[in-house]
Amino acid sequence: MTVASLTHTATNASHAGSASVEITGVHKFFGTVHALRGIDLTIRPGEVCVAIGPSGSGKSTLLRCINQLETISAGRIHLNGELQGYTDSGGRLHQLSPRRIAAQRRRTGMVFQRFNLFPHMTALQNVMEGPVQVRRIPRARAREQARALLDRVGLGGLGDRYPNQISGGQQQRVAIARALAMEPEVMLFDEPTSALDPELVGEVLDVIKDLVRTGMTMMLVTHEIGFAREIADHLVFMDQGAIVEEGRPREMLSQPKNPRTQAFLSKVL
Amino acid sequence: MTAGGDTTLGRSMAGSDTKGARGSVPAASVRQIDGVPLNDVAPPRHSGRWIALILLLVLAGQMAVAVAGNPNFHWHVFAEYLFHRNVLRGVLWTLGLTVAAMSVAVVLAIALVVMRDSDNPILRGLSWLWVWFFRGTPIYTQLLFWGLFAVLFPVLSLSIPFGPELLTIETKRVITAMTAAILGLAFNESAYLTEIFRAGFRAIDRGQTEAAQAIGIPKAKIWARILLPQAMRTIIPPTGNETIGMLKMTSLVLAIPFTLDLMFATNAIANRLYLPVPLLMVAGFWYLVITSVLMVGQHYLERHFGKGHDAGAGQRA
Ligand SMILES: Nc1ncnc2c1ncn2[C@@H]1O[C@H](COP(=O)(O)OP(=O)(O)OP(=O)(O)O)[C@@H](O)[C@H]1O
Ligand SMILES: [Mg+2]
Repeated sequence: MTVASLTHTATNASHAGSASVEITGVHKFFGTVHALRGIDLTIRPGEVCVAIGPSGSGKSTLLRCINQLETISAGRIHLNGELQGYTDSGGRLHQLSPRRIAAQRRRTGMVFQRFNLFPHMTALQNVMEGPVQVRRIPRARAREQARALLDRVGLGGLGDRYPNQISGGQQQRVAIARALAMEPEVMLFDEPTSALDPELVGEVLDVIKDLVRTGMTMMLVTHEIGFAREIADHLVFMDQGAIVEEGRPREMLSQPKNPRTQAFLSKVL
Repeated sequence: MTAGGDTTLGRSMAGSDTKGARGSVPAASVRQIDGVPLNDVAPPRHSGRWIALILLLVLAGQMAVAVAGNPNFHWHVFAEYLFHRNVLRGVLWTLGLTVAAMSVAVVLAIALVVMRDSDNPILRGLSWLWVWFFRGTPIYTQLLFWGLFAVLFPVLSLSIPFGPELLTIETKRVITAMTAAILGLAFNESAYLTEIFRAGFRAIDRGQTEAAQAIGIPKAKIWARILLPQAMRTIIPPTGNETIGMLKMTSLVLAIPFTLDLMFATNAIANRLYLPVPLLMVAGFWYLVITSVLMVGQHYLERHFGKGHDAGAGQRA
């Protein structure tokens, strides 16, 4: 496997991040749809938190709230102790300016189910875009850094390809490199392998496993229970917008306490 | 063209076709890539195409004869005035008006689309009103009003309400016939372009904006670097249409009145000579030439913004 060549010292681009995430009393309404119903969750620095649960249980919504792609209807989200999206003056919230929100978003990297690479840019340009446009790193240095990142995810030779010229697994690895290029403190993955053909899943999981070894704080939503067991420090089972059960993956997967967890696992295992 | 001529032409063409196909078999050295001999595929025969081509050539020939030999077309007048000073000046003005009006319209339309998508309801409303008004009234009427602008508002002044005037200028110095023509055409066009652009932006997957937001790219840069280049791909062909439409719409600026464009120039000559037909041909010729130039420009724009889409799967290893 090409990804075996990954080393943790290869670039300075990704060990930046090990922040904590504290989610307290978070609710999310889409109109009248109550998508999140009082989520309390703490992810410690360097912890790998994996969320599983049936479709529609609110896993994606929770990730999107952490990254402020959705605004929360109630509750608070702190990243390393910093309130996300607002300033709090005695209980009344004041929305941060778009600039400040953009700055907060930089601290979390997001990997999407459908990659969402920019189709009009090459793999290398996709990875460079954030560093050049947002972090204002000089082009030459950003290119060098992007090359190193593509090497890290095993795509050294493909920098000049456009997204439609590479496979789904390769696209998702470029997307991971693109997120890492911003040196995020937390990485969020929303079902990173579920749009992939089965034979391409492994290469993406290997890249993620490698990231886990760097000690980055991560939250990952997946349907790959075996993978969850392997990498998670902290497993969360969600159903109907709530966290039903959480704990160590080994115990939870072998002896789930909650009947809803039991029912879900009996279906997927 | 005579019937005999047709058959000779047909036979010689069909002959060279079959000869070419057969002759290539022994001569062909088999192409290889990485030591793999590629399939030697005989080019398909397109007898239908050749027949159609012959029929078209016959028709075109007959039409050419009918037009060329027809004294009513006054070809010597056509030749005399094709490169006449006023005509050439008209060509330049028409091209210039088209390019200037389209450029202003494109910038306006981009601003209007961004406004339309804004969180600010006032900006959204303004954008909507602009499109409603300029699409909803005839261009000729708008141009008449632009022409009357200096009469309706003889001076333009910037002042504090109920306070002193800061700046006063005579309208006819700012809104000349040329600026009236450009703004009149551009404002009208911007309304149509806004709808074209809006469709182009809407076709982009929401995930593109979200991916850009997730990296922390600020909103203005998301528009400029992520959305616009992708929208261009779908925007260019209908915008090319609009540009060519604009080319011909410039002839309406006589409403202002602005009298240097191509159509006005050829009409003036035709009226003087009492010979409309050859000068219509002169105008038609130049409109076709400008259209062709614009189409070449469009081709290169399309190629530029097709990156990552058309370059495509062919190069995939
Ligand atoms: N933009 C939206 N508008 C309205 N309802 C929404 C929206 N996004 C999500 N929902 C609803 O919120 C609930 C949670 O959706 P979410 O996408 O978070 O589920 P999920 O756990 O990620 O499911 P899956 O495993 O299928 O991805 C669902 O009932 C969904 O229909
Ligand atoms: Mg989901």
